[in-house]
Amino acid sequence: MTKDAEYAIEVVKLTKRYGDLAAVNDISFTVSKGEVFALLGPNGAGKTTTVEIISTIRTPTSGKLMLLGMDVTRQKSGIVPRIGVLPQGFSSFDRLTVRETIQYYSRLFGTNTDIDGLIELVNIKDKAKVQYKKLSGGLRQRLGIAIALVNDPEVVFLDEPTTGLDPRARREVWEVLQGLKNRGKTVFLTTHYMEEAELLADTVAIISKGKIIAKGSPGELIENNTNYLVLTLRCADNKAFEIVRKMGFEPVLNGNKEIRIRMEHKDDVQKILNAITDAGALYLGLDVRKPNLEEVFLKLTGEALLSDPVVERGVV
Amino acid sequence: MNLRVVGANLIVKLKCVWREKTTMFFTIAFPIILILVFGTIFMSQDNVGFHLCVQDLDQTTLSAKAIATLERDGKFKITRVDPAANVNQYVRENKVDLVMIIPRGLESSIVQNVTRKDPKAFVTITYIYDPSSSSVLTKIQILNAVLAGINQKLSGKSPVIRSAETSILTRKYRFIEFFVPGIIAMAVMSLSLFGTVNLNTELRQKGIIRKLSTTPITRTDWILSDILYQFTLAVGSTIAMLLVSYIVFDVRLNLDAWLPAFILLDVFAFVGIGMILTRFAREAQSAAAAANAVSFPMMFLSGSFFPVELMPGFLQTIAKILPLYYVNEGLRSAMVFEDDMAALRAAAVIGAFAAVVFILGIMATKWEEGQ
Ligand SMILES: Nc1ncnc2c1ncn2[C@@H]1O[C@H](COP(=O)(O)OP(=O)(O)OP(=O)(O)O)[C@@H](O)[C@H]1O
Ligand SMILES: [Mg+2]
Repeated sequence: MTKDAEYAIEVVKLTKRYGDLAAVNDISFTVSKGEVFALLGPNGAGKTTTVEIISTIRTPTSGKLMLLGMDVTRQKSGIVPRIGVLPQGFSSFDRLTVRETIQYYSRLFGTNTDIDGLIELVNIKDKAKVQYKKLSGGLRQRLGIAIALVNDPEVVFLDEPTTGLDPRARREVWEVLQGLKNRGKTVFLTTHYMEEAELLADTVAIISKGKIIAKGSPGELIENNTNYLVLTLRCADNKAFEIVRKMGFEPVLNGNKEIRIRMEHKDDVQKILNAITDAGALYLGLDVRKPNLEEVFLKLTGEALLSDPVVERGVV
Repeated sequence: MNLRVVGANLIVKLKCVWREKTTMFFTIAFPIILILVFGTIFMSQDNVGFHLCVQDLDQTTLSAKAIATLERDGKFKITRVDPAANVNQYVRENKVDLVMIIPRGLESSIVQNVTRKDPKAFVTITYIYDPSSSSVLTKIQILNAVLAGINQKLSGKSPVIRSAETSILTRKYRFIEFFVPGIIAMAVMSLSLFGTVNLNTELRQKGIIRKLSTTPITRTDWILSDILYQFTLAVGSTIAMLLVSYIVFDVRLNLDAWLPAFILLDVFAFVGIGMILTRFAREAQSAAAAANAVSFPMMFLSGSFFPVELMPGFLQTIAKILPLYYVNEGLRSAMVFEDDMAALRAAAVIGAFAAVVFILGIMATKWEEGQ
């Protein structure tokens, strides 16, 4: 308890069992104050279990949990006013308007919430008088975030805030989250979208089957776990594909005449492009990128991170 | 307890139900429909007199007068049987249970008896009846009473023994007046029980309960706000029921502080039971089924629709362990019999029950899901 200022969250050897299943299996990590921490993992990995234990909704089987210097299992009443939570799949009272909903939760905390400020922050001003029932998924999640902020918490827990949203709604939520980050809140985020983790998180912990299998900044994770580049050629013809294959690479044909090629050295890009041009083969566009967290996850676990068609990207 | 939190919850729940117009309508309408349907049945029963067949063999002014008296004083609905008919055959063919035969010579015998003071002149009225009918003895009793009255008047002596009727009720109540308090008790029970179960399972499914566990609200605040909310609805519904039964059936019941007191106890008891059911039924459907299993026997066995005294002995014993029985008893003691002591006894029983269930309800309420 002397380390009050050091970490926002400290988890040591946390385990949660449901019968024979260890939903969370002996995990340890720390979250610094003011950082955005993302727990990234596929369905059933143990994200919700972890976040709900830390945010006092569930109780752990074993392990030590400190939040803002307080023991999570023993000091719930001290912790509750200082955290804000958006549970997974949260919804609210159908017949209350946006404004009434925020007002209700702020009354529960008895805080002097700047309701208009919150409405502004999550960008739902024009829907303030609309009933919850009539809000789209993205607006509902933004309202959920606003509710999580009514007590001006130091640590905010958001369990899959963008799951099930279309890409545009997702981006709008990201903007709101970026705003939180700029306000210096500590944000604990769970997601199975690697883009989300990559874009928002300072630290990403990859969780699979109840275990944390890698942790670090998105850059570090990619750097430490991969050693290749990905070249994508768009609108390429078969001839180009053949040439690349003959050069000894393993091109993958991907839907719309897209060819993906993995390589270890930057110089290979130039070599491939020259060979294609020399042979008179065609392609209309190209892009070179580093591997993403999706690929890191695949490499670490041998499994794809998610099966959501909206964000799914073919993996090389 | 935190009044601000309780108030915030109460406002939210009232707003939500107010905006859910169809739910509102059916909650209020259901007990009123019961009152209208049963009220109509009881009222027509109250007004129908007994049916009586009379064969007048005398066919004189006096015999006609006697029949008119039966119609008026005995409240009989008279069917006149043709003097030429064979009564035994008539009874069988028309499936009537009683025919009264006024013999020839009624007028002449009476005239002889009264004006000539001849005590040997008399006349015999015959009843042809079906002993298997349940109402026939009552009819004969009433007929005998009316005939005794006529005899007495004719004899000109004033009666030595008179009777005075004092009902155990301070004034005469109709069955509908007995019925309305039972329906109030039942309606409040259903409102509280199903309201609590439905609301809480819905909120649990929506994740609102999980969210609430990360706010400072306590279980006591939560249940108290539910009780206040259900009480508000119950009072509204009771007012509607009383108004309808007053306007349609002219039902006037004694209204005093006992009424809100019993409504509150009713609410406390069944919100508590609702909380316990919500806790132990995982799915919304099984919670609703459990609520049905609790309320159904309660409705029929605790004397909401008809007096418990009409039921066989062992069912009466069962009735007396049902909490709703004491709400029924209490409300009737207060609203119909105006018996404060009886109301107090019922209040003590239901009050103790409500306190226990309320505490169990608080203990059963869990914010945390899937421990
Ligand atoms: N209350 C519970 N009872 C039994 N098993 C549970 C319970 N809650 C979670 N589990 C199991 O624990 C494991 C982890 O679940 P959890 O909900 O934490 O995963 P998640 O990473 O949040 O997945 P998702 O992306 O689907 O939300 C799963 O196998 C799940 O079935
Ligand atoms: Mg989850």
